[in-house]
Amino acid sequence: MALALGPKLGPDIRANDLSVPDRDMHIYLPIAEMSANVLLFLGMGWAVGFLSGLFGVGGGFLMTPLLIFSGIPAAVAVGTGAAQIVAASVSGAIAQYRRNNVDVKMGLVLLLGGIFGSVIGVQIVKILRKAGQFDLVLALGYVTFLGVIGALMLIESLSTIQKARGGIAVSARRPGQHSWIHGLPLKMRFHRSKLYISAVPPLMIGAFVGFLAAIMGAGGGFIMVPAMIYLLRVPTNVVVGTSLFQIVFVTAVTTVLHATENRGVDVVLALLLIISGVVGAQFGATAGSKLKGEQLRFLLAALVLLVCFRVAWDIVVTPDDLYSIQPPFGGR
Amino acid sequence: MPSRLWRFLVCLGLAAGLVAGAAVVAPRFVLHDRAEARIAGQGQKRKEGQGRRKDQQPAPKTAPATPAEPPGPPRPVAVPEPPKSPLDSLPPEKVEADVSTRSIAVTSGFTGTEIIVFGSVDNSRQPSAESGYYDVAVVVEGTPEPLVARKKSNVGGLWINTAAASFDSVPSYYAVTSTRPIEEVADASILEDNAIGLDNVRLRPSAGTSGSLSAAELTDYESAVVRLKKEDELYLRDDYGVAFIGRSLFRSSIELPAHVPVGPLTASVYLFRDGALLSKFSTRVRLEREGVELLLYRFSVRQPFLYGLFAVVVAVGAGLLGSMSFRRLSQ
Repeated sequence: MALALGPKLGPDIRANDLSVPDRDMHIYLPIAEMSANVLLFLGMGWAVGFLSGLFGVGGGFLMTPLLIFSGIPAAVAVGTGAAQIVAASVSGAIAQYRRNNVDVKMGLVLLLGGIFGSVIGVQIVKILRKAGQFDLVLALGYVTFLGVIGALMLIESLSTIQKARGGIAVSARRPGQHSWIHGLPLKMRFHRSKLYISAVPPLMIGAFVGFLAAIMGAGGGFIMVPAMIYLLRVPTNVVVGTSLFQIVFVTAVTTVLHATENRGVDVVLALLLIISGVVGAQFGATAGSKLKGEQLRFLLAALVLLVCFRVAWDIVVTPDDLYSIQPPFGGR
Repeated sequence: MPSRLWRFLVCLGLAAGLVAGAAVVAPRFVLHDRAEARIAGQGQKRKEGQGRRKDQQPAPKTAPATPAEPPGPPRPVAVPEPPKSPLDSLPPEKVEADVSTRSIAVTSGFTGTEIIVFGSVDNSRQPSAESGYYDVAVVVEGTPEPLVARKKSNVGGLWINTAAASFDSVPSYYAVTSTRPIEEVADASILEDNAIGLDNVRLRPSAGTSGSLSAAELTDYESAVVRLKKEDELYLRDDYGVAFIGRSLFRSSIELPAHVPVGPLTASVYLFRDGALLSKFSTRVRLEREGVELLLYRFSVRQPFLYGLFAVVVAVGAGLLGSMSFRRLSQ
């Protein structure tokens, strides 16, 4: 089993080492072409779902590395991760839409950019897989994003906790004035967000998030939400709904593209993750309401950094075997 | 091309020699098929077999020529019979085999399986199962498939794939098991010709690769492929996996792991005596997806776009259903 994960992963975390004891709990994944321990993946889905409910994040950025650690080929992990995000975001998006918290026009502009970014991203995945560099680029991408976001969150949450201890009232950060955005062409009126801005920045943000979704199997909410708040200055009550709306569609498009271009979507695996993820998210949301925001952010930051180090470890430490074997892309 | 010419000459030489030998001595059993061998004169053959034994000894060296010989696969051409007096009157040994499961279904519950390859030696001269008179090697091989081997090197502190070799054909699975370590059973050249043993798995590098890499580099890649397949438990070897149960009956069990690549398998059985290949037999095992696994796999390959849409629908459905039912439960 070991090799399915590629030699970059150490012998300690091989999926079937965990799963050998009882074979009854296995299911054969038709696209990943491996037998997987149902409990392992249900547990993983539940845990990521729990965390995403707890922290209010999509969880894709945790799911994809975990899938790779447990032996799923990188391309299948990314494609299946996209499908899982569709499921995780859809009910939230509908709920937000019902509450009129979605700026559909803004969402469509973001989506347009998102589809563009996703198409490019999937093609890049294809090229990198052919060249045998996809695993590396994926790892580098994760190290960069998780590292930066984890560090920022850690600093922010620590300072908030300290300030709270010092008794200083914590005020929400005020975004600065980004005048250059107002100078761009293609101005549009977004009624729900009460904005009259150029369509270029939302298109670019959408494209960037779509690109990330395709390459990293993450929804990109962690980029989109701050970008909408600080760059576009979309009102906070509309941000979450609109970003969920966009994520559902972009990840749906990405799923279809990965299925056609990279044969990377395993429905059976996705279903396992979705079912357990939905349940985990409900528990997480309940637990989250009992914790303080800055404590939550501190925990999430620690978790993000942990995953970041784990991913970095594989590409920095001398591998056990310098050689690796893979089916040539499109060979089967 | 020169090697082909050389082969042709060797063949020609061999054929001429055989014809001459046959004309002088007797109808020698150049086996076109096994029935012919049985019909052919026996007592005469035995004596002649003993005489020939010495000059046939270097035969393995010319062995590469055999595939080019008239009909079909390398049969035990003129393999010398052991000189054992009362048994000498028996016709030559022949091995026949079958597999416990001819067709294996890979369904959602597939967690690997074990197949039993069993067979018998016709006209066995073996006094008992424990005598170790014969050696049997069983090789189960998966469908050949293309493969890329990559090599990492350290670039600025990161381990990056920097070189690669591609193979047109590598057996997806390979298991060899024998009555004793295969190296003790027969000469390296015989094992190589018949692709018996993990050192002799047939790997065919693609044209571009064999052109651009040096022989040493290619060997490194080839041994890496075998090593990694072995680590992945797709290439297996069991030195004492074949056991005789009676004078002629033998069996071996072979493990197919859960991740064995789906496709037809070939099971080949080789019968040896004193390092000489007496007979071989091949049979096929079907390993196919069935049920939902087959449907999903086919769907994803034949209609990838619709499969993608299907995945999205499943995801949306499961997401909505899951959160709705959970909300009902908790209320």
